[in-house]
Amino acid sequence: MGHGHKIEIKQENFTVPGKAKQFAMIFMILGLILTGIGIFTLDGNDSSSHADVKDSHTTVTTKVPVVEVSNHATEMEGSENHAPDMDNEHGDHSDAASHGEHHNVENEQFGPRMEYHAQEKPASTKILANLLTAGYYFFMVSLCALFWYAIQYAANAGWSVAIKRVPEAIYTFFPIAFVVLVVAAFLGKDDIYHWAHYEHLGLKPGETGYDKVLDGKSGFLNTGMLFILPTILVAIWYFLGNKMRKLSLAEDTAKSGDVTFFRKTTRLSAAFLVLFGFTISIVVWLFIMSVDAHWYSTIFGVYNFATSWVSSISVILIFVLFLKSRGHLNLVTKEHQHDLGKFMFAFTVFWAYIWLFQYLLIWYAHIPEEMMYYQLRFEQYKTYFLANFVINFVLPFAFLLMRTAKRTNALIISIGALLFVGHYFDVWFMVMPGVFGPGMHIGLLDIGIFIFFTGLFVYWVLNQLTKRGLVAVNHPYLEESVYHDTGV
Amino acid sequence: MGLVDKNLSLRNRNKMLVGVWEDEDSLVDATQTLVDQGIHIHDVYTPYPVHGLDRVIGVKRSRLARVAFFCGLTGLSLMTLMIWYMYVHDWPVNVGNKPVRFTPSWIPVIFEGTVLCTAFGMGIFFFLRSRMVHGIKNDLLDVRQTDDRMIIAIETTDGVAEADVLKTMKDKGAVEVREMENGIQTVIK
Repeated sequence: MGHGHKIEIKQENFTVPGKAKQFAMIFMILGLILTGIGIFTLDGNDSSSHADVKDSHTTVTTKVPVVEVSNHATEMEGSENHAPDMDNEHGDHSDAASHGEHHNVENEQFGPRMEYHAQEKPASTKILANLLTAGYYFFMVSLCALFWYAIQYAANAGWSVAIKRVPEAIYTFFPIAFVVLVVAAFLGKDDIYHWAHYEHLGLKPGETGYDKVLDGKSGFLNTGMLFILPTILVAIWYFLGNKMRKLSLAEDTAKSGDVTFFRKTTRLSAAFLVLFGFTISIVVWLFIMSVDAHWYSTIFGVYNFATSWVSSISVILIFVLFLKSRGHLNLVTKEHQHDLGKFMFAFTVFWAYIWLFQYLLIWYAHIPEEMMYYQLRFEQYKTYFLANFVINFVLPFAFLLMRTAKRTNALIISIGALLFVGHYFDVWFMVMPGVFGPGMHIGLLDIGIFIFFTGLFVYWVLNQLTKRGLVAVNHPYLEESVYHDTGV
Repeated sequence: MGLVDKNLSLRNRNKMLVGVWEDEDSLVDATQTLVDQGIHIHDVYTPYPVHGLDRVIGVKRSRLARVAFFCGLTGLSLMTLMIWYMYVHDWPVNVGNKPVRFTPSWIPVIFEGTVLCTAFGMGIFFFLRSRMVHGIKNDLLDVRQTDDRMIIAIETTDGVAEADVLKTMKDKGAVEVREMENGIQTVIK
């Protein structure tokens, strides 16, 4: 392919086409209108959904097999002698068992755990929970673009240089999305996070409603930590990302053959990757896993990473193909597109693997408090639960297996869009049942907020793309990327 | 055509023209020139993959991906059958009162089995099709083609101007050109 003729490398400058700007604007306005209608109709829905919540609350608890309760009780009795640790971990169970006469079976099983679903929530909770979902999702997707960028440097990858300005523009969105996330969490913390609600009560051991699990977690899981720790982390990530951006811009105007920028970025990337790998889970635990504060899953951080990573790659691919359709990125060939498609395919499978294995561990152990998360989502939201798997794994997997699909623009864009929407829904599905219990549906409000933020995100990224040339003309691996070929 | 591709063997060839190269850029260039002159190239041997060469000599897309897909399907069905036979049919075991029908615990077994069959299947079929089965005698044109030299092999048929081909090879940077007849190579000065 590349041999025999030399490809000319020249800088390209992007200006946002009027149509794309309009498109993003229409998205935002449509999103706002839908959100408005959603909010307007929320009040009417709310009273009925409250009734729903109460009704289905009783159905949830009665549906729980009684076998589990007795199993667990005997297990606790049996293990008391030789496993004192168990007593600490599941202490509230034995507490509940000892007060068995005062409680009914449901309370013994779930204690205060399920009660938060029935807690009265103002209508604004739905808006704030949606803002939290949107803020979190777009935060993670743009942050993963930075992760993608850093990986290319750390792995010394040459093929991706031709498209490196795209993730570079995408990752600038993460501080903005983080602000949305923090504001939503701040305004709605008492209704979204039942542990924050519990924190205000300040109960001591022995008082009614005292929750040993939440009390034990309060050293980490408290409102101070919720806002301070992620803010510090995001500040560090932003600092590193910004530095890489500056180096990348400075490289363009430096003299050809200067590799100091490349070396510096590689070092920064390595630092970022290590930091990101160790700390991303903390943000995930604090903002998303704590929605179900009694529940925990050690793989949850990885699961959330997998979710946003696939979407991030899809977004990069869609932007690359958009720019190409506008006559830019002339150095990018089908080979780059094919490789991004392979990336998408691989991490679709990775997502499914984590999706299954998070459940598999819980299924094996069969501990009620871990099962609770899936009990709620599988019994009360069966369609959503299965749709999540079909949209995010079965369909993309079936199509991406084909080489043709990765090389056909219309198909790969459709799959990318499907994954982008599907993974937003995946995050929605982590948050909403946890906040509201059973009986939640995707309404106009949810769709509206997603569409609005998609518009904002697209608008922002398009603007960022105009800020610098689309080709990293002085990158040492540019030529390697230009002649990138994966073979026949 | 059998599973093992006999066409790849050099044993039964009448006469071959062999050019030896030291770097891949001039190799690809030379190959392109020869192809442009309408000469059919038997094969090009390189110790490592050379980008762009496959397109120049017109290698068809490998069907290994399809083989992999069917090996995967085979693995999937074999493993499902296996675990169903062990776990449900032959010797059902009550583990923690979990159901004996299809459960999540089947999936790792089926998945690993699928991967195993795909990997082994691809390996086996690849070696079979490339005629690298057990017991074949080596027929390297040049032992250095496994190390640091690259070889272009052209089978002489009617209408191939041997002198012209040899001249083109030399012009395009061949460090050595040879003729092979009945398995004996002679270096052409």
